[in-house]
Order: sequence, then structure tokens, then C-alpha cells
Amino acid sequence: MTQTPMTQAPVLAQGQSATATTKPARPLLKVENLSVEFGPKASPIRVVNGVSFEVDAGGSVGIVGESGSGKSITSLAVMGLIPSPPGRIVEGRVEFEGTNLLEMQKARLPDIRGRDIAMIFQEPMSSLNPVMTIGDQIGEAIKLHEKMSREQRRERIVELLKLVGIPNPEGRLGAYPHQFSGGMRQRVMIAMAVACNPKLLIADEPTTALDVTIQAQVLELMHKIRRTLNTSILLISHDLGVIADVCERVVVMYAGRVVEEADVKSIFRNPSHPYTRGLLQSIPRLNDERSRLYQIPGSVPLAGTVKKGCPFFARCPDRIGRCAEEMPPMFAVSKSQRAACWVTAGANEGATAAVTAGVTAGGGVSEGATA
Amino acid sequence: MSTVIQPSSLSPDVDNTIAPEPGFRAAIMHMIFGRKSTVFALVVMLIFIVVAVLAPWISPYDPLAQSFLSINKPPSAAHWLGTDQFGRDVLSRMIHGSRNSLLFGLISPALAAIFGTALGVTAGYFGGAVDRVISRLIDLLLAFPELLLAIMIAAVLGGAFWNIIAVITVAFIPGFARVARASTLAVKQEPYVEAAVAVGLRTPTIIIRHIIPNIAAPIVVLMTLWVASAIRLEASLSFLGIGTRAPNPSWGNIIRDGLNNLFGSPWPIIAAGFAITCVVLSFNLFGDAVRDVLDPETAE
Repeated sequence: MTQTPMTQAPVLAQGQSATATTKPARPLLKVENLSVEFGPKASPIRVVNGVSFEVDAGGSVGIVGESGSGKSITSLAVMGLIPSPPGRIVEGRVEFEGTNLLEMQKARLPDIRGRDIAMIFQEPMSSLNPVMTIGDQIGEAIKLHEKMSREQRRERIVELLKLVGIPNPEGRLGAYPHQFSGGMRQRVMIAMAVACNPKLLIADEPTTALDVTIQAQVLELMHKIRRTLNTSILLISHDLGVIADVCERVVVMYAGRVVEEADVKSIFRNPSHPYTRGLLQSIPRLNDERSRLYQIPGSVPLAGTVKKGCPFFARCPDRIGRCAEEMPPMFAVSKSQRAACWVTAGANEGATAAVTAGVTAGGGVSEGATA
Repeated sequence: MSTVIQPSSLSPDVDNTIAPEPGFRAAIMHMIFGRKSTVFALVVMLIFIVVAVLAPWISPYDPLAQSFLSINKPPSAAHWLGTDQFGRDVLSRMIHGSRNSLLFGLISPALAAIFGTALGVTAGYFGGAVDRVISRLIDLLLAFPELLLAIMIAAVLGGAFWNIIAVITVAFIPGFARVARASTLAVKQEPYVEAAVAVGLRTPTIIIRHIIPNIAAPIVVLMTLWVASAIRLEASLSFLGIGTRAPNPSWGNIIRDGLNNLFGSPWPIIAAGFAITCVVLSFNLFGDAVRDVLDPETAE
């Protein structure tokens, strides 16, 4: 609790009124001030700290950050999959179509999972049950959420396998996961996830374990899913290339906080947070003249060790005295971009006045700049 | 920006070479007839079961009939497996004894596997206080040697058939619970369990469809191994007068009696030992085959 001294109450109020007046269409998913703690209650470790973002219906948002920045935990929190104990969500709201999932009865969550929100996991090699045929595994979700006869279900599974590009789908229903390559397993995972036409698809590093050519195919598949099923996508990745390919908006996380949030073009053309700039510089290029690759000096602070000031302070090339003392709130940099950095805010004179800590992705940002 | 991945056309995957998988029924047929050892095991099991069922009709003599004139005879045309120290026909005693031994040897491990697995999976999956309570109870049972435990329970309940079954079952539960709990702890961490939660499956379905099939392999193997232990335990209980009571035969007490008369006639021990070995071996082979069906990955 001590790490969030910022003006939370007024910020929330402002964010709500803003969405109420200027943006009548409510976002599909709205995460507000989400904080997750792990460990004993007496000395908790905060791994996600006041994270807010939105995903519009049909939109695609990427969360990017190094390992340990809390992006996977954020996605698990949305699904209600934080292992508890030792983890717990200490504050915030996860609103899906206007319902706060965190206040929902535990027993009703399974109705939402798989049907409205589906998830693709990091490791396709181990995310499929080795003793079940893939037909059965895909069928499980359908059986659960939709009333269909056996034949209808079978047809639907074949259709899904066709959609994700598995050759000879009829012949593969009885195959076991170990007979598939990593890329094909990830396709099966995607087929499982979209089996009930979910409104939101959360993909947690869906391409990390795959080689580059397969990555491209899986990303193309996600585009196809979005086009054909009109599914919103929340993509978690540490790879800005992947994010750039799939997402319209980007949320940059660092040490459990959102440090920058913008549309994908602004992130690449005008990165405003020093951390984002560091990430972009770290991307190796084929036509690179440098003999050594760039790296951000130091490493992500251990969760819970930053007690005050900006979590990026120790590694920041642009730090000023204020950064060590006060956590910067989100400043609007432009109409569709915000960053939590005192230096950037200082450089952008006009933006300094418009302090808005509630991050909103998917278009809810403009109020901050114009206020 | 140069690393931004170019969307490529969604070409069919390269590894299209895998043969289409046959259905589940075909897999079972393949399991049974695919390996000679499994066929052999099934035939042996079948023979023993048929013999046990038909015991009164196929045994050449009354298993209890003693004969002073034919004590400790080696195998002959009249007595295929010889006679024991009371002149009883060993073959007839073996045939009748197979009923008791097979019943105890099969029912108890099967029941113990069911209850033990249920306890172990519950403890492993839910963890916390549930785990602590169940684990301590299991430890309590484990602290007693199986035989001592069996004697204590039998002494309280008496020596009726189902009591003996219950006794042996309780004695075997800790082993299954331990294995099931440990395996569940490992399987619970697997991403596919998390994926099952994410799909919206509820806990009982997850346990039955995703946990148990994945921990079945060690349990099935354990079950087949304990068929032998159950037959042996029943013999020990018989010796103490709470299992199959003399003079009624079971394989266990044929061995027990034969041991005292080893130099008089080794044939009862040889016959009963051979029978137990055959049954246990065939169950182990069968267990391996079952495991391969449950776990297709190791079967390749």
C-alpha cells in the first residue's frame, strides 16, 4: 500500500466521469488500478501495481515489458487465474462488459472463461493434455459452453482445425499432442481458445517458444481470427516486433507498473518513456553497424524492492533528482499517448498540466490532453 | 523496425507426414494384439480365471480328502502335482485355492487403488489443510506394518471374507495415496491443467479428465505389483487363523504348509509358487499394456 501514494481517488473519479461523458460506448475490457500481491500478508510483494488499461470491442492491445514486469500476472488476474495462495488481487477492478469480474462469485467464473474470455498460453508444448486426443480437447470447451449433438460438435471441431490451418483435419481428430510439432500445437491451442467464439482472446507470449517462421504463421493466424471472428485481442509479449504486427495500442509495463501507453505508431515513432526507448534500441537489426548489441544497463528491480520514486530510476539515462523521490503519474504526451516520466513531461510543457494517472487504452485518452 | 515480422501466407504445415491416428477402439485392439507378451499375459489370466470358476467340476480329487497311503508322493499319473504330507492331492488343492487367492489378490488391490487414489488426488490437488489432514492420516497408517495393521483390524472385525478384503485394502491404501498425491502435485503444475481452468472446466471435471488419466500409469503398475503382495498377505493371515482357515486351501497356505514339509515333498511349494509367479507376471505385463494406452507418448 505504501508504494501507491499517488492521487488515486481523484484520478479514478476523473477517469470515470471522462468515460461517461465523452465515450458512451463502454470498452469490452476495462482494467482499473489493478494491484496484485504475492507472499505473506505481513510482508507482501507487490508484483502488479495500479495497472489500468482498456480493450475496445474488436480492438487489439499489446502489453510489452521485460521478464518480471508483471505482464503475465496481469493477464492471469483478468482470467481470475492467480494462484491463491500465495497470490491475491488487493485492489482494482477488472470490468468485462460492465461486470466486475473480481466481485463475481467464484462459481460463476467458469461460465465466462472459455466462452467470453479465452486464453492462449506461453508453452504450446505442454499446454495440451498428453493423454487426450486433440479432437477431445477442443471438444471439451464446446461441450461445456454450447449445446450441440456429437455430430455437430465434430463438424465444429473440424471447422476450427481448418480455420487454424491444420491439414487433413478429419484425419487428425484422433491424434495425440505429441504427434504434432510446436507450431501445430499452438494452432490447436488457438483452435481450443476460439472454439466458442470468445469476445476477448488473451494471448500470453503465444510465439515465444516457436521459431521465427512459425511465429509469423501464428501471428498471421491471429490476424485471421480477428478478421473472421471479430475477437478482441490482448497480446502479452516481450517482443516489440510481435506487438507491432498484431496490436493497435501498446501498454509498456515495467516493474509492475504501466510506464507508457500509446497507439502502436507513436510507440515506434516517438517513444516517450526512457524505458520504451531502451526497449526499441535493444532490438537487434540485420543491417546493424554496431559491433555490440544495445542493452539497458542493469536489470529489472526485484518485485517489491522499489519503495519510492520511479522504478526505472536506477537504469534510466535521463534521470533527474525528482525521479528518486516521487513516482511520476501518467502524463499525456499527445492525443493518444501517455508516459509516466518526469523528464518527458518537463520537455512537453503543454502536457504537464494534464496529469492523468488512469491509463486508458483503445481511445479513451484524448480527454487527458484536452483537459 | 526491421525485426517486425512479415506476415507470411498461411501455408499448410510442413510436417504433414504423420500417419492419421486410428480410433480409441483400434488403439485397444492394437494394445492387446500388438505385442506377443500381452496376448500371452491375457491367455494366462484367462486360464486361471476359468480354472477358479470351474474349480468344483475340474478338480480330480476332494481338496480336503486325506490319504494315509499316498503321503508326500512326487507327480504321477494319478496325482499330476504329487501329494502333501497328509496325502492330499496338490492339484486339487491348487485349483480350489485359486478361488480364494485370486479373489483376495485382485479385489483388494483394486479397491485400495480406488480409495487410495481418491485420497491422494484430493490431498494433492487441493493442498493446504485438506492435504495436511489426509497426509497425516496416511502417515498414521504407514507407521504400522501392513501385516500388523491387518491383524489388528481382523481381530476387531473377525475373519469373514469381506473383512479380510477390507483389511488388506486398508493396509494397501497408504501406498496408493502416496503415489497419487505425489503424481498429482507434479501434474497440477502442468500448463494444460491451467489451460483447462481457462477453458472454463470445473474442478471435478479437471480432476477426472485431466489429472487422473495423467497419473494412472504409476498407479496401474503399482496395482499389478500388489496382486502378489495381497496373495502373500492373505497367506500370512491364513496362517494366523484369520484368512482362509485350514484345512481349506489357498495358494498362500499351501506354501505355508509346504514350507514345514519342504523335504518331505517340495511339490506344493513349487506348484503354488509357480502359480503366483504366473499370475503376478501376467498382471504386470497387462499393466504395462494398459499404461501404454493411458499414456500414448511412452508407448511409441
